[in-house]
Amino acid sequence: MVMMVVFSVMFLISLIAVASNPSPYFAALGLMIGAGVGCGMLTQFGMTFLSMILFLIYLGGMLVVFAYSAALAAEPYPSAWGSLEVFSYVVGSLMLVVVMWMLLVNDFGAFDEIEGCVMSVRRYVGVSEMYNAGGYMLLVAGWVLLVALLVVLELTRGFGRGCLRAV
Amino acid sequence: MSPYILFVMLSSLGLGTTLTFTSSHWLLAWMGLEINTLAIIPLMTNKHHPRAVEAATKYFLTQAAAAAILLFASIYNAWYSGQWFIQDMSSPVSTLMTLAIAIKLGIAPMHFWLPEVMQGISISTGLILVTWQKLAPLALLMQISHNIKPELLIILGLMSTIIGGWGGLNQTQIRKIMAYSSIAHLGWIISILHFMPALAMINLFIYLIMTITMFMTFNLLNSPTINTLAMNWSKSPILAATSALALLSLGGLPPLTGFMPKWLIIQELTNQELAPTATLLALSALLSLFFYLRLSYSLSLTIMPNTHPQTLNWNMKTTTPLPLSLMMMMTLTMLPITPTIISLF
Amino acid sequence: MTHILFTISTAFMLGLTGLTFHRTHLLSALLCLEGMMLSLFIALAMWSTQNDMMIFSSSPLLLLALSACEAGLGLSLLVATSRTHGSDHLQNLNLLQC
Repeated sequence: MVMMVVFSVMFLISLIAVASNPSPYFAALGLMIGAGVGCGMLTQFGMTFLSMILFLIYLGGMLVVFAYSAALAAEPYPSAWGSLEVFSYVVGSLMLVVVMWMLLVNDFGAFDEIEGCVMSVRRYVGVSEMYNAGGYMLLVAGWVLLVALLVVLELTRGFGRGCLRAV
Repeated sequence: MSPYILFVMLSSLGLGTTLTFTSSHWLLAWMGLEINTLAIIPLMTNKHHPRAVEAATKYFLTQAAAAAILLFASIYNAWYSGQWFIQDMSSPVSTLMTLAIAIKLGIAPMHFWLPEVMQGISISTGLILVTWQKLAPLALLMQISHNIKPELLIILGLMSTIIGGWGGLNQTQIRKIMAYSSIAHLGWIISILHFMPALAMINLFIYLIMTITMFMTFNLLNSPTINTLAMNWSKSPILAATSALALLSLGGLPPLTGFMPKWLIIQELTNQELAPTATLLALSALLSLFFYLRLSYSLSLTIMPNTHPQTLNWNMKTTTPLPLSLMMMMTLTMLPITPTIISLF
Repeated sequence: MTHILFTISTAFMLGLTGLTFHRTHLLSALLCLEGMMLSLFIALAMWSTQNDMMIFSSSPLLLLALSACEAGLGLSLLVATSRTHGSDHLQNLNLLQC
């Protein structure tokens, strides 16, 4: 239970780090920590397979691309959480967290509802369910991935002017 | 754009909308909306000029955020009620859901993206944007309409009609005017949605016909602003005359088709003892009517009697395409068959 | 349960407010969108586990596939914007206002 609380708090902190409008490098760093902590949350509930998928996709795939784009869209004077504007956003986000806490969490005993299922692998059956019963959804998802490939190609080619980056 | 890629994108647009139509599960409905967003972006940036890229970026940001809010609301609903069916929503979640769909549709307090996106893209892509892209979110909204609070829908509808009329007054660009016209018509649709969904369907049907007519006309006349409309009588005189009437039909004047949904909606709202709402809706239609009247005035009523110094458009033979003729007929003359149309829905 | 729901919905709301309030870069708006999608992924996975819905445990994968498509689309728009507008600052996207 303690690990779950720690992971939740770290997850919220990383989302605050993303949402508080720092330079994109630091925001990508925050999202990376958030994805790692999210993997931890999922393994606490026994979803090891989904956790692995999340780790592979977010850290292995997307965040590399995001880091690359952050390098492309670089700026000379990056602002981290120490600067005044970003810090005011952090304070605003913390107030949002407090408001959500007062709205959603009624009693503090609600922590106890998390049952002790630490590291028991429960839900790997879902993958075979996806291949078995969800075949058409898999087909649609594959089609969407193909369409996304074509969309990216169409969007980024054929520019007669401009440069890749200009700071 | 290569025709193969165009085919893939158009068929994906069809796939997304039909997926949302046929789904009874929120996740699949969300997937359909995402496919729609994904597939229209390259159509928007068909010509890679900065305005098109900017329009595509704005469209992407609003639509992706709206789809994420939609999925969040449905997960929240599932967390409390344990099921994912579209037609069984609990009430506070359906408010959030309605607002997310309103962002996707461009209903009034969330309408700011629509005129800017319309200004950046071509007229034919704009036709897809204000007709086909509205269908999937409206289908979702109609399925949850019995669970939404009617006050919310009426407030959204009134704000859309008033802001749609008011915002269009100041515009000289045809595409922005048509975007505000779309906002105003969607206001009419959703203000009747809770009380009589069939009437909202009729209004949507008539709106689609009139909008397709107007966009095909403007595409054919190739005029992006009001002041280029005035030279179009030499290009196609019959089209100039009938499209002026079609604009008045869009504004809802009585002998034309556009009067029918407004008439029925005002009658139904009065039956529901909402006479002040109906009065406000009718008054806000006057605001829209002003800029429709201005468009039709400069389109067909400003032929100079004397020889004027400007150069005329090159008087090639303009052939009106057959779909435009059919749509124009339906835009102008469907009021007498109102009982037949009511019995259809 | 309430604790998990609080974490997920607060994370989503943080991402949403970060997206809607003033962003300097298009890239950080996209990162906020990804944060929203991350919290939705975790919410779907948690929901399917908590309610013992075995068949639903494939739904986070579908969500992940679509959000990856969305991220790719957003990044290609980032490249297109920085080509046409010179940088990825959101305040440069002002050609269409009037």
